Amino acid sequence: MTTVKILGTGCPNCRRLEAVAREAAASAGVDAEFVKITNIDEILAHDVFATPGLVIDDKVVSTGRIPTAAEIRQWLGR
Amino acid sequence: MELLLNLLAGGAGNLAAYLAAHVLLCLLPAFFIAGAMSALIPKPAITRWLGRNTSPAIAYPAAAAAGSLLAVCSCTIVPLFAGIHRKGAGLGPAMTFLFFAPAGNVLALSYTGAILGGEFALARFVLSLLFGIGIGLLMALIFWRDDADHDAQTDSLFAGQASLGVAAGGVLLSMLALLLAGTLKLEPLTATMIAVSLPLPWAEAWQSQLLDWVPFDAAKGEEGVSVQGSMMIALLFLIGVSAWKGLENITEGANRWTWTALVLAAVTLLVAALRLVPHAEGLTVELPGRVIAVGTAIGALLHFARKLPADDWRAWLWETWRFVRQIFPLLVIGVFVVGVIRQLIQPEWIQALAGRNDVVANAVAVAFGVFMYFPTLVEVPVARMFLDLGMHKGPLLAYLMADPELSLQSILMIAAVIGRAKTAAYVALVALFSIAAGLLYGAWVDGARIGPIALGLSGFVALLAIALAALHARRSRSIPLKGEHA
Repeated sequence: MTTVKILGTGCPNCRRLEAVAREAAASAGVDAEFVKITNIDEILAHDVFATPGLVIDDKVVSTGRIPTAAEIRQWLGR
Repeated sequence: MELLLNLLAGGAGNLAAYLAAHVLLCLLPAFFIAGAMSALIPKPAITRWLGRNTSPAIAYPAAAAAGSLLAVCSCTIVPLFAGIHRKGAGLGPAMTFLFFAPAGNVLALSYTGAILGGEFALARFVLSLLFGIGIGLLMALIFWRDDADHDAQTDSLFAGQASLGVAAGGVLLSMLALLLAGTLKLEPLTATMIAVSLPLPWAEAWQSQLLDWVPFDAAKGEEGVSVQGSMMIALLFLIGVSAWKGLENITEGANRWTWTALVLAAVTLLVAALRLVPHAEGLTVELPGRVIAVGTAIGALLHFARKLPADDWRAWLWETWRFVRQIFPLLVIGVFVVGVIRQLIQPEWIQALAGRNDVVANAVAVAFGVFMYFPTLVEVPVARMFLDLGMHKGPLLAYLMADPELSLQSILMIAAVIGRAKTAAYVALVALFSIAAGLLYGAWVDGARIGPIALGLSGFVALLAIALAALHARRSRSIPLKGEHA
């Protein structure tokens, strides 16, 4: 089971990142649990200071931008 | 009933005049620049100067730079503010960042310049920069004990090397050139080089029709819509439609609508640079130097943009579109509402309250700014309305300094990060400094001699420098800084 965390305070980019990540997980056939982190302290605890941040299995894979679905599929595939 | 119709006509007229005259040449490039800053400037290039061990002499200017270059949206502002405060340079630079961001970003500056004048934009920029650093330093001095409580954190969060690539730098510079070429009112840009007369007999009839719909009355601050303006509104509408289809999914790749939207945007900027004069026989098209400058800047932009990696230009277009979608609808509604309200406010009220430059008028302006909340950038057309209604420029600047910095929303956000006592101190300082800024600028507009003002400002800067030195000494005495043990 893969855990995918979306770090963001609820800005439009965070919602979009979640949509893209869900789509990527679905199309890659990965069984993933999605967690949304909106608390600023928890976001900072990941050493992320530009949202949206994407964390896959406790590893920060992208910050401050929206990756493409293809990129996320690659990260999920590891 | 007639009153209602009058109000609606006022709102629609204001909106049409804004879309036609002001928005395009400044806001269109400004949105693209904001998008590029957000997508193309690597954040570590600036944030590495905001680490825990940075000296204040670097941290405060870096915080201001971060405010003006990185903080175009709350996605960046909140985490960066909290990050600088908790893990980075501390309370002072975090406050400077927070204060300067709404006034120093490219959208706010270019929009202020286009609607209230370049001199006003410059005053807003300089005074917010100076007072932003001042407020940051004062906060750090007042709360220096709390600031020393920083738990031992490594500097890794704000470390990291990154610099701006050649292509990204070229894109930013050529867009800046585009913005300046489109908006500056200088001789070679405004002088007509070629004039062509087109046999379009309907042009004059169309112009009088437009003036019938949107009356022109300089005394009431109404601006009217020209033939050119009506073309701009049409082009803006077309850009909106094609951008909706072309940019909504840009992160996954471009389509035909994407290119349509971009070409239309370039055409719009070129048309806006022309001068169209309708007369009895037709339409005279005058080509000022501005057309060549705008065309050259667009060419340079294209040259650099083609060198960007696909991920980068897609992210750039997405950020640009996101800003447009987030800010533009609110701006349209805001401008409409301002047009409605203008019909209701008597100029005498404004003149009685804030027609002069004194402490009371400035305080009233600041209080209004604190208690009213306007969405991003709407404070600018509101300020324009007050200016037209006879508000003095000093209190107007005080209002513009206080309004975007202090809204209920931002106060709650700040309180969540730094606590109530510090938030109260921050609010008080912003109110105080905004009043001071208004008084200073107002005195300058009224023709006060430049000497005393310059003397006052340089005295203030000197005080800041002394405070800075004191702060640095205190900090290095109270906290054993990492890396100084060796």
